[in-house]
Amino acid sequence: MESLQNPATPLIEFDGVSKTYKGGTHALQDVNIKINKGEFVFIVGSSGAGKSTFMKLIMREEKPTTGQIRVNGYHLNKLRSKDVALYRRTLGIVFQDFRLIPTMNAFENVAFAMHVTGASSREIRKSVAGALSVVGLSHKARCLPAEMSGGEQQRVALARALVNRPEMIIADEPTGNVDPNMSYEIVELLNEINRRGTTVLMVTHEHQLVSDFDKRVIMIDKGKIVADNGDGNGGVV
Amino acid sequence: MKLSSVKYLTGTGIKNMWVNKLMTIASVGTLVACMLIIGVAVMIAQNVTFALKGIEQQNIIMVYFNDRNSVVYGDATPLVEIPKNEDGTRGEIPENAYLVHNEQEALAIVAEIEKLDNIESVEYVSKETSLEAVMDKYLQGQTEVQGVLTEDENSNPLSDGAKITVDSMELYSQTAEQLKTISGITTVTAQGDIADKLVAITDALRTAGFWIIAILLLISLVIVSNTIRVTMYNRKLEISIMKAVGATNAFIRLPFVIEGVFIGLISSGVAFGFMYLMHSAIVTELGRVLSLSSIVPFRTYALNLFALFAAIGLISGVVGSVIMMGRYLRKEGSEFRAL
Ligand SMILES: Nc1ncnc2c1ncn2[C@@H]1O[C@H](COP(=O)(O)OP(=O)(O)OP(=O)(O)O)[C@@H](O)[C@H]1O
Ligand SMILES: [Mg+2]
Repeated sequence: MESLQNPATPLIEFDGVSKTYKGGTHALQDVNIKINKGEFVFIVGSSGAGKSTFMKLIMREEKPTTGQIRVNGYHLNKLRSKDVALYRRTLGIVFQDFRLIPTMNAFENVAFAMHVTGASSREIRKSVAGALSVVGLSHKARCLPAEMSGGEQQRVALARALVNRPEMIIADEPTGNVDPNMSYEIVELLNEINRRGTTVLMVTHEHQLVSDFDKRVIMIDKGKIVADNGDGNGGVV
Repeated sequence: MKLSSVKYLTGTGIKNMWVNKLMTIASVGTLVACMLIIGVAVMIAQNVTFALKGIEQQNIIMVYFNDRNSVVYGDATPLVEIPKNEDGTRGEIPENAYLVHNEQEALAIVAEIEKLDNIESVEYVSKETSLEAVMDKYLQGQTEVQGVLTEDENSNPLSDGAKITVDSMELYSQTAEQLKTISGITTVTAQGDIADKLVAITDALRTAGFWIIAILLLISLVIVSNTIRVTMYNRKLEISIMKAVGATNAFIRLPFVIEGVFIGLISSGVAFGFMYLMHSAIVTELGRVLSLSSIVPFRTYALNLFALFAAIGLISGVVGSVIMMGRYLRKEGSEFRAL
């Protein structure tokens, strides 16, 4: 994969993208951006700025009203619904509210993501154990979500996002529901994952985090990109 | 889809039924009730049709030929004028006053009849055979009368004819009309009105059966859909995660389809068992007053009934879940939003 990746081709490319919702809200206007493979990007901005919309467009949960989006060789505008599923397997999505299934323990929650790909139970056992150890929760594999702290739950969710070895992690406010210490740990974890080669996109409101980790920061305001400290050509390391 | 996925999803489908115990039981119960109504309708229809078949000679038409006796004793109009004797009585009947003179000519008409549509079989019945039958049936022991009738070859007043069995009862009257147009046939004895009534009854039963099945199938569909919808909303969170980690729609749909199919099949099994018990009970009750031969044995239509139940179960299971899932998966708005 690495060798096939043309360094001139960005992993994520927005070309004149606008998104107007049904009600007429212009959530994004003429966004042009390039994010390269291996980057760690913070998306910041005030409430209602369009950050989640930006992420949803990448996840192909929404389609742009105008403009083109290309991600990892997939032309998102032209994706057929069957290919949407395959495309999403290249993403690791982390939600603000963890989205763990309450009746499943940590192991089963992570394994759930692998069943979708049709993995065998042997592969599942191996990969799930690996993902849980990356987030440091091997000892909590048999615990239900209710028996874990918010931070631990989000780390299980992170393990679930990682278990299919995605090309990139897409996290919309992953630290929104955990205390500041835990926030720091989660970003530390994402940073570690990023060091191993996975691209990370993370929306956050926490200025402290952004300044603690010296990363590329894209600022969105009223649907427009108003600041970007990376050029998208080689990225900021 | 891989085998491991199918196994996993089948397990999920069955687990959902268990998690949704009350809903599952309620829908199985309602489906069984629907199927029982259908089953009873089938049982009644089977027995009524059987009883109707028992009404004798319903599909038989008797015809009599234009022979000498039909002119002498029957109501056939002679083809030429019959000379009168001097005392005014009827004279000798000329050969050209009627059409059938011998067995060969009679068989030619039989061959003619065979060419018509809707004829299952034609049996030539000579006047001698008819006479024997009449004497057997009505004149037993009356040797005097029998003697007169068999005195010589001209004393038998009956005509040659044919016994015709028709194929389709619907066309019974039409066939009788066609027979009347064949030259050489004088009399057609058809129980057209009985035939028409029987056809009307069977038609009515068939139409009623169709609508009963159609309406109850629709009800079954709604019931299964509703159960699937409840499961679906219970599993909203799981579905949103599945979509996020790249599950295909087929993968998301399968456990629901399996749940629907299982509910349908379990219902058909239970309904079939009830039908069997019900039939046994009815046989024991009626057996005291009716001869058992007048009740259609369960096994003659058991297989068809089971197939019908299973089909209703399968159709409502598959269609109900696919419709529900289709609506859910196509729904506008954020597909990752769980609650
Ligand atoms: N599904 C939707 N339908 C209509 N309008 C929407 C929809 N989703 C978002 N919006 C609107 O689009 C604008 C941008 O929303 P978005 O969720 O992208 O903001 P955000 O930057 O993520 O905000 P927050 O920090 O509060 O999460 C807002 O005005 C919002 O009301
Ligand atoms: Mg948001």
